[in-house]
Order: sequence, then structure tokens, then C-alpha cells
Amino acid sequence: MKELIMCEGPNEKAVMDILIDNGLLVFDRDDLLGLAVYHARQIKTSGQVRNALDMYSGQVEILRVGDKLSDEIKKIKAYERQLMSIRKYCTKPELEILLIIGEKLLSSFEKVKSKVKPKDFSKQKIQYNGVKYRNQTDFYKMYFGLRPKLLVQCLKAYKSSHRNKSGELYIADLLK
Amino acid sequence: MRLLRVSADHFKNAKDGLTIDLVPQARKSDEDKQYEMNEIDSGLFVYSTGAFIGKNASGKTTALDLLDCAYSILGEYRLEGKHYSCEGTRLELFFYDKGYIYRYRTILDTRMNAMNRTQFGQQELVRKKYYSSYAAKIYDSEGFEAVDITGKLPKDTSIVFFVSDEQQTLAVYFSSSDNGADVYSHAFNILEAENLGIGILSKILFIFDENITELSRLDDHNFRIVYCGQESIKSDKELLYWLSSGTTKGMLLYMMMAASLTEGFDLLVDEIENHFHKTLVRNMIDLYRDKTVNRKGASLFFTTHYCEILDSFNRQDNIWITRSEGKVTAVSMREDHPIRRELLKSIQFYNNTFRTDINYDALMALKKELMA
Repeated sequence: MKELIMCEGPNEKAVMDILIDNGLLVFDRDDLLGLAVYHARQIKTSGQVRNALDMYSGQVEILRVGDKLSDEIKKIKAYERQLMSIRKYCTKPELEILLIIGEKLLSSFEKVKSKVKPKDFSKQKIQYNGVKYRNQTDFYKMYFGLRPKLLVQCLKAYKSSHRNKSGELYIADLLK
Repeated sequence: MRLLRVSADHFKNAKDGLTIDLVPQARKSDEDKQYEMNEIDSGLFVYSTGAFIGKNASGKTTALDLLDCAYSILGEYRLEGKHYSCEGTRLELFFYDKGYIYRYRTILDTRMNAMNRTQFGQQELVRKKYYSSYAAKIYDSEGFEAVDITGKLPKDTSIVFFVSDEQQTLAVYFSSSDNGADVYSHAFNILEAENLGIGILSKILFIFDENITELSRLDDHNFRIVYCGQESIKSDKELLYWLSSGTTKGMLLYMMMAASLTEGFDLLVDEIENHFHKTLVRNMIDLYRDKTVNRKGASLFFTTHYCEILDSFNRQDNIWITRSEGKVTAVSMREDHPIRRELLKSIQFYNNTFRTDINYDALMALKKELMA
């Protein structure tokens, strides 16, 4: 059995790569299909995921990582035998909530969250090493890459301060 | 230095204006940028993988030869020892180097000179600064200025020399023809030249033949092999008959691939499926698209008859369909016959959407002849 991690965007992929590369998850890279975390929303439209599934004949469970993940994975007949389960790991309303927690700005954000999206709030308030947040994957790599423990703290804090819908798990649930 | 686009008139049996553009022109999704492209400067991308597909004798190899010709000029400033003729070919190359977009034009002359090398005539080399805000206009003639040519070169040396005076391998061509017994020595030469480490070779051999646990070179023509736990000394000619052709070809191709991924040069492969299981081809594509493996931005371009392989491509502008209707053409699937993104490309090929089917009447004519 292999884990197929499908991230909604490149930023989620960067976060998952940091966690795996630092041995912080309940599985390691050897457990991943293709030894990789994929940036893919759907199997149907991801040549890279299909390529990985085509190379492996065993069973796979899909771990989806994203903010809302409101769309469902469309099943493909060719892979029905391989795909055992699908689980969702959400960081609502947007992944930037982790940066907001990391900067201890959650209470400030809570006051304006009905008017301002986490992304826009982060663009206004967050900078690190002299670089302002601009929704770039490199920012996540810089912010959390050398501080994986901070990332773990943010993920745990997110879980304790947010309530996802039933069936929506937290990335913190994958931590060791 | 990176090749961006090549166009040619009078090249082999190709229709004038044969153009292969390695810069994506269609909309680029984040997923595409992650897997199917390499960013060579801010906002400037080239494909990480590209495929040429078409029926037999449709000109797939001609298209790959044109790329090879362009890479040789840019990397070695010369064309020598080629298996194709460029007599009278008019070439236009666009390439990128250190923040500039270059355009190079020349007419090739292959009439024999003392060194049997192609001569470069009517050369023109211009350049303009690359700005990400003009990424969509890199080929526009506006803004180009002549490059200072500060010396004289022999006619068999291109003035691209003045851009970068150090020869470099920009691409390696792996042809579909048999490499003979030299293949083993060649593989070890790559291993040593690129400092790949013996671990790479043993892992490659294990992919192709799990019975081989060790292969080492004693001299240019003799090798020590451990096969099913039994050690023996074999010459290259003995190995050629002893090992499967897939193992022999695979060993060399995968060594070239490892060197390409390590050093960042491109790999051109003619008939990639030759002797290979589809999974091995998929594996190659996967490695070129995985940026944790392909850290220096190498690209893989190949010809194939395996249309199922194309299902691993999300884009359609990095698949070229070749046809030979009098003259060879190579047109990207996006320009030729775009299909909805979620449709499997292989199904479209089997449905003859791209007019790549083998002529049914020709097959039946042969059958009838054999029945008579």
C-alpha cells in the first residue's frame, strides 16, 4: 500500500514536503507513491499522477491536502482496483492561516475575517527576512523550511482553534 | 545556454518552415509549471518533456535531427559526423543565454572541405535583453541588436562561438540504431566522465535484469560480470550476445539519462520504446518532471509509437504530430487538432483524430497478395 498525496496547490505541496523531509509525519517518503508529493487536483487531469499510478500495480490511498476541497475526486475506471480510500486534510479558509498563526496574528485576523481573506491579510501584515508575503511557494519554503517545528506548532494550533466539517481531517492528524 | 526555437528550410525531406518551438505558448497552469516545464529565467519556460508521434516514415526522426542540429551548433559551434545532410539548409535559431535572447541565422553548406565539416554561410547573430514583462514577445524582431563579432573564425565554426567561447554539451542524441559492442565501454565512459558513481550503474542494471548484481570494466573490451551469483569475465562481443538487447540498450540509455539529469543537458531519444516496456519510458518521463531529481532543468525529447505514453502529458503544445504528405511537417497537437484536456490522448490516436493511422488499404493489399 502506498500513500498518494495530492495537494491542491504548490504551497500545500511545499508544506507537505517540509514535513516529510524532516521526518515529522507518520509515514516517510518511501511510503509515498513515486516517492513524491503531487500537486494535482484530479487524477483525470494530472498526467504526473496517472504516470505514477501506471508504474505501480499495488493499492493506493489518496490523501488530499487543500483548503476547502469541496470538489470530489472523479473516479477513473482504469485505477478503480488500485484506489482504496480518499481522505481530506483541510486548512480552511486558506493555507495562509498557518502563516497568520505563525506570526501570532490569529486574534487580529479573527476581528476582520468577515471582510478580509487570509491571503489578503497575510499580504498586508506578514513579512519574513525582509520579504513581504506575495502568495509564492518560495515564501513558504523560506518561512517554514528552516523552522519545521514552527510548522508543527502552527498545524497543532490550527487544529485546536478550528472545527472542520465531518469527514475533513487536519494535517496535524498526520503528525507523529 | 538554452535552445528556445529552431526553424529550417531545405532540411532533409522536411517542408520549408519546419519549426520546433520549445517555449510553451499556451496558458500555463501551476501544475504544468511544476511538471511539464523548466523555468530558465523569470517567466521564461521551456518544456521538461516533449514527444514526436506519427506513423512510420512520417518524419519523427527528421524533427529530432533538426533539434540535434541546433544543439550541436549552440554547444559545439560545429556540425560534424552527422548521419543526416544539411546541404543548403537555411536555419534560424532562438536561444537564451545569461539574460539575453539571441537569434541566429545561417545557411549551411556541406560541400566537402578538407575536414569534412559543414560550413556556415550568411551568418547573422543578434540579441536583446530578456525582460519577464516581455516573455510573450521573445521572438518579435523588435529590439534585437547585432552582437559584436570581435574576430575571424574558420568557415566550419559558427559565430555562436562569440556568445560563449567554451564548448558545452547541450544535448545528447540517442539513436534507434544498434550501438554494437561498444555500448558497454560507452556506458562506463559516461559513468566516469560524469562521476556518477557505481551505485547508479548497479541500480540501472537491476531494473533491466535482476540477475546481474555486478558489472565492472577490466579494460576497453573486457568486463567482469556477476550473474546469478556466478562471476565471469566476458568480452564486449560476448556480452552483446549474452545479455538481452533491452538490457544492453537500457543500460546505455539510462546512463545517458542519469548524466543528463545530473549535468542538466537535454536528451534526445529516437524511438524511445525500442526494446522497452512502457513502464520504463514512464519512469524516464517521471524523472525529468520531478524537480527533486531534475534539479538542473534538463529536458527529454523523444519520438515514439506508444500513444499511451502521451496520456501522461497534460499539455498539447509539447506533443508534435509528424506527417509526410510529400514533405515532412511537425505540428503541435495544440495547433493541429486541440482536444479537451480531460480526454485521453491515446484514445484520440486510436480514433485516428490526428490522421496517424497506418493505411488500412495498404495492409489489406498485402494480406490479399499473401492469400493469392
